[in-house]
Amino acid sequence: MNWYPIFLREMLQFKKKLFRLGYIFTSMMVPLLYLLAFGLGLGRSVQVAGGSYFDYLLPGLVAMSSMNNSYNWIASGLNLSRLYFKTFQVLVQAPIAPTSIIAGYVISGMVRGLFASLMIILVGLLAGSGFHLSLIFIFTLLLNCFLFSNLGVIVGMITKSHEDTSTYANFFILPMVFFSGTFFPIERMPALLKGIILCLPLTHTNILIRKTVWDGQAWLALLVMTAYAALFFLIGSRMIRNYSE
Amino acid sequence: MIKIEQLTKEYGKVRAVDSLSLEIHREEVFGLLGPNGAGKTTTIKILNTLVKPTSGRAWLDGFDVVQNPLEIKQRIGVVPQENNLDRDLTAYENLKIYGLLHHLPDLSRKIEERLRSVDLWERRHDPVQTFSGGMQRRLLIARALLGQPQFLFLDEPTIGLDPQVRREIWNTIRRIRTQGGTVLLTTHYIEEAEALSDRVGILSKGKLIALDSPENLKKMVGEYVVEYINQDGSKVYQMCRTREDAQCHLLHTENEMTFRKANLEDVFVKLTGARIET
Repeated sequence: MNWYPIFLREMLQFKKKLFRLGYIFTSMMVPLLYLLAFGLGLGRSVQVAGGSYFDYLLPGLVAMSSMNNSYNWIASGLNLSRLYFKTFQVLVQAPIAPTSIIAGYVISGMVRGLFASLMIILVGLLAGSGFHLSLIFIFTLLLNCFLFSNLGVIVGMITKSHEDTSTYANFFILPMVFFSGTFFPIERMPALLKGIILCLPLTHTNILIRKTVWDGQAWLALLVMTAYAALFFLIGSRMIRNYSE
Repeated sequence: MIKIEQLTKEYGKVRAVDSLSLEIHREEVFGLLGPNGAGKTTTIKILNTLVKPTSGRAWLDGFDVVQNPLEIKQRIGVVPQENNLDRDLTAYENLKIYGLLHHLPDLSRKIEERLRSVDLWERRHDPVQTFSGGMQRRLLIARALLGQPQFLFLDEPTIGLDPQVRREIWNTIRRIRTQGGTVLLTTHYIEEAEALSDRVGILSKGKLIALDSPENLKKMVGEYVVEYINQDGSKVYQMCRTREDAQCHLLHTENEMTFRKANLEDVFVKLTGARIET
């Protein structure tokens, strides 16, 4: 439980931000726009993977939103804490292991990602989606939040200024949102591009989150996501262990 | 005890700390004195595990700062030069998170005791960002003392504080020493270094250029100072070993002169040719 004080700190800050006017609205703006514009605009008329586009889009937006919120909260918060507010010093000067520090950050990032996902699902259900919560969906969502919170730790630790975090978001996170099967199936992409897309972690989240049974493709997606998550956790822990100002 | 051996830290081509060696004893307040960029903060950051040295070693109670960071972190309290409080959180929340991070038992009582000692108990539920600079500084000190550390590192602890608060903090530091603690203090306030330190180390460009008690350092360069304005308008400081030497100067000049007892800044000027405020 050495991670708990870091988690508590992040949650106290999250709670304070949550009650600021307009916070939920601004943070949910982009995914809700996608949901309403694409989902309601194309949703009923276009069929994808044997169902309505709206029902296809909703899990993709949950994957995207959980990724963005987990990643951004940690990458941006850690960067500011390390370079500007210097509050990260307090954590690395505490007698706890680097893995506890990363765990505290990651669990708080997961809460943030899950909160954002819940908002999307609620809006989707209110808009008439036939969405059903399944165990695979919940498990994938948790793993996705864990994976991208860990990536957030790495980016938060390596960036040399706050502007750098948006550079990473623009060059890595944003393209991943559009090409990894959030809005349309990756099968429609050219073969070469498809090869690259299959290396991206969010692609496998989008595959797994839409599965209803554990088939071969689901297990492969789980394997890739787990490998990324473990790799990011190890790299992040190592970066915290070797931290020096 | 703190033991430092040939400690060096380089940032690219800049050598922030240069082959520093010294020992700081239990129940001692040790002052590191020097201008900005002398290596004081880097030395403190190495000792409290925030900065990894380029070479050399340092131990706190026999624990190596690089090899045994967890043991070091269990024994230290740090008041950094930068305010690293969580500004969105309240004073109470800041201390609670610190206490949980350091596994402190009986935390509620300790938080109340510390907040009362720095006169912030009534403001415990206010966000830190609503505090004045002096209040935030007092909270930093309360936080560093929450776990009753064996080693207390204070980096410019009273910077920007009014004289009354500064003296309250001095008393707190003296109490820590009498309770068996070891205090390493950096300051560029001469008065503070003289008032608190059992011994003073003077740093210049990362090197330790003098180390002794404030009294001995002053005796080393001359206990009295004669100041006068030169013909080119520059101020001249003449160090004198005895009162008679100083009076001799006063008799043999037509310039207007000031005669006073030497302070640590005069020691610094004598040793480096520069003033501490530079």
